Order: sequence, then C-alpha cells, then structure tokens
Amino acid sequence: MSDHHHDHDAPLPDTVLRVKALESLLTEKGLVDPAALDVLIDTYETRVGPRNGAKVVARAWVDDAYKKRLLEDATAAIAEFGFQGRQSEHMVVLENTAKVHNMVVCTLCSCYPWAVLGLPPVWYKSSPYRARAVIDPRGVLEEFGVALDEEVEIRVWDSTAEIRYLVLPQRPGGTEGMDEEALADLVTRDSMIGVGLAGSPGGV
Amino acid sequence: MNGAHDLGGMHGLGAIDPEFDEPVFHEEWERRCFAITLAAGFLGKWNIDMSRYARERMHPADYLGTSYYEHWLHGLQTLLVEQGILTEEEIAARMLELTGEQDT
Amino acid sequence: MKPLKAADVEHALQHSRGARVNEDVAAKFRVGDRVLTRNINPIGHTRLPRYARARHGTIACDYGVFIFPDTHAVGEGMKPQHLYSVRFTAQELWGADASARDSVYLDLWDDYLDPA
Repeated sequence: MSDHHHDHDAPLPDTVLRVKALESLLTEKGLVDPAALDVLIDTYETRVGPRNGAKVVARAWVDDAYKKRLLEDATAAIAEFGFQGRQSEHMVVLENTAKVHNMVVCTLCSCYPWAVLGLPPVWYKSSPYRARAVIDPRGVLEEFGVALDEEVEIRVWDSTAEIRYLVLPQRPGGTEGMDEEALADLVTRDSMIGVGLAGSPGGV
Repeated sequence: MNGAHDLGGMHGLGAIDPEFDEPVFHEEWERRCFAITLAAGFLGKWNIDMSRYARERMHPADYLGTSYYEHWLHGLQTLLVEQGILTEEEIAARMLELTGEQDT
Repeated sequence: MKPLKAADVEHALQHSRGARVNEDVAAKFRVGDRVLTRNINPIGHTRLPRYARARHGTIACDYGVFIFPDTHAVGEGMKPQHLYSVRFTAQELWGADASARDSVYLDLWDDYLDPA
C-alpha cells in the first residue's frame, strides 16, 4: 500500500514547541524532576514490553496449575513474575480455544495492559482499530492475516473500565518438546491482543 | 460526552495499517510528552478519569486529525491550566521564547 | 505539590493503587441477569459508549466494587459501585446483518444498567 497515513509522520512544530514549553516550565517550578523523566522513558522503552506477557503465556502452556491460577486470578498469577502495577492493576486473562477467539480493544481511549505488553502500538491507539474492532472483528482479523473458521465464536472485549485484558493464545502444534523459554519466543504481542496467533516453531 | 473519542462502530476511517517492528516512540517529543504526563500525574492534582475527560474534550475535528500523544498533550495542558499550575499566557510566552531559540 | 523523584519511579509504577474500592456495596445484578443499558447522553464524562446505549445484555461477571468514572472525572466523588462484564450479542449492537455467533463484552457499572 502506498498511501501510509501514520499520524507520526508529520509532528507539527507547534506540538514540539508546546511539549518543550510544558517540560521547561514544570521543571523550573520544581514540579518535575528531569531524572525521573529519564527513568519513566527508560522503563517503558527498554524494560517493560511484550516479552513480559510472553513469559506468562509460555508458563501457562507448560504448567496446568499455573494456567488455572492465571484464569482464576490473573493479577496475582502475573504478579508471580513481578509484573504488576500501573495500567495492569486488575488483570483478566482470556483463553483462546479452537471454538472461541478473544480480541481486545479500547474504543474510548487506548487502555492496554502496560505491565505485560508495554505501551500500545500506534495502530491499537488509532481511530480505525478503535472504530472497527467492535463492529467488524472478522474484517479486522483478516487485515491482520488471521482467517478464522466461520464456526469460531469471536468475543471482542472493549476495555471501558480499569480491567486490563490479556489474551492467552492457543499453543501452536508441533511444539510438544519445547521448553518454556523457547515457547515464549513464539508468543507475539499481537497474539496477546487477539489480532494474531502464536507463531509456529521456525516460522516467526 | 458524545465526543470524537467515542469511536466504536464509526465508518470511513480506513485500513488499520500496522507498522512492522514498530519502535516504542517515534519522535523525541513523544518520549517527553509521555514522561511529563506521567510525572505531572504523580503531583496528585487529578485522577485518571479527569485525564481522560480532559483529552476527550478536544474539538472532534482536532481529535480525529491528531495522534495519541497529541491527545495527551492537549489533556495535560488543559489539566495544568484548570488546576492553576500553569497559565495559558506563560505557556504561550515560553513557546515564543523557544521559537526564538530555534531560529538562531 | 512534590515532584516524583527518579528513585521513587519504580515503586510508584509497581504499586499503583488501581480503581477497586474496598467498600461493602450491594450489587444490583447477578451473573446471568438480563440488563438494559441506560440511554444517557451526559455532557460530562462517561464510559458507556454510544454504540452500547439502550441495548440488552447479560451479566457475564461481577468484578466487585470500583470507582465510578462519571462522578470521579468531575470532582463529584468516587460513588463506589459494582462493575460487571456485560455480554452483548453482535446482532443486538449492530443489527441482523451482524454475525449470529459473535459478541462484544463491555465493562459497565451499576449506574449504567437497568433490569431487562
């Protein structure tokens, strides 16, 4: 497709100036600590991301007792890894099966489980996904290259409150001998939002 | 409110167009906007519901024509001004100063 | 007002309090109950999207007592009440042309719901 309309292509100079103005005023007044800004950025740019969620999913694939805890009390089960806190205070895990496919959206803003997936990608926050996920989930999935059987029931979860949803994708076939760490490499971010499937070994 | 943020079911917005191997932030101003928004939130002068309400009060044409972190920026400025932490005038004056710096 | 210090960032992020309220508030509905969402159009903040107003759904899960955003956003208090996952069929939301199999789940508070 030739006409990409990513919002970030043309940040207006006014926007850049305004951010700088707010940052410098808040810093001058002692309301913002520049060192804290660096830590906040570093946290979500390099430390917290979808690898966290992938570890949770892989554990659930190999450990039935963990999977049971995860489906019963996701917040506590996820906290066993030390993943918790902001934008993941109240977690719910949705299990995809051969019969039911779950996908997650936030039509009103862009709620997303930060502690397990990091910050959301641009498409998740953009108008087309937020508008279409609830009215045309099958069309959306097709755009992501996911072709589901007509018989599969699709459940779309619109995150209208502070509950944060993580999809537990189906474990791909042919992975029986793989250990937890290798399995985690098959778990994509999109499969944990429900717009993708977990990858097959050697084909990610 | 029946604002532009209430997008569920809207038609005509086009393809979703995901970016392959997308970075967490695309521009430096997005990094700064993200961090000052979180840091300012910790001042305890507003809650998450007030933050969302401040973002969704953007004019619908502006909301649909701008990106996520521009929504955040609008919301942050709205809250800072409403809470009496900064004034519109000092923000405008600082932006003007910064424009001067950029030109030289 | 004190600024967040670099050394406190990790703790502050990890120990975010969330929106659950430890208060004993009676639930208006139980899992399996049929509900009708209210047709509200407030000028203020709400988390009941337009597409799900005046629609029939079923209580799928009771998440417990949470802060009510409509009041909390405008300085009118937390108004703690039960938050539910409510299931709506795609056809109830979008009409007969929608899939008969699919559904949309929204998280909705007692104040958005009436018995159906």
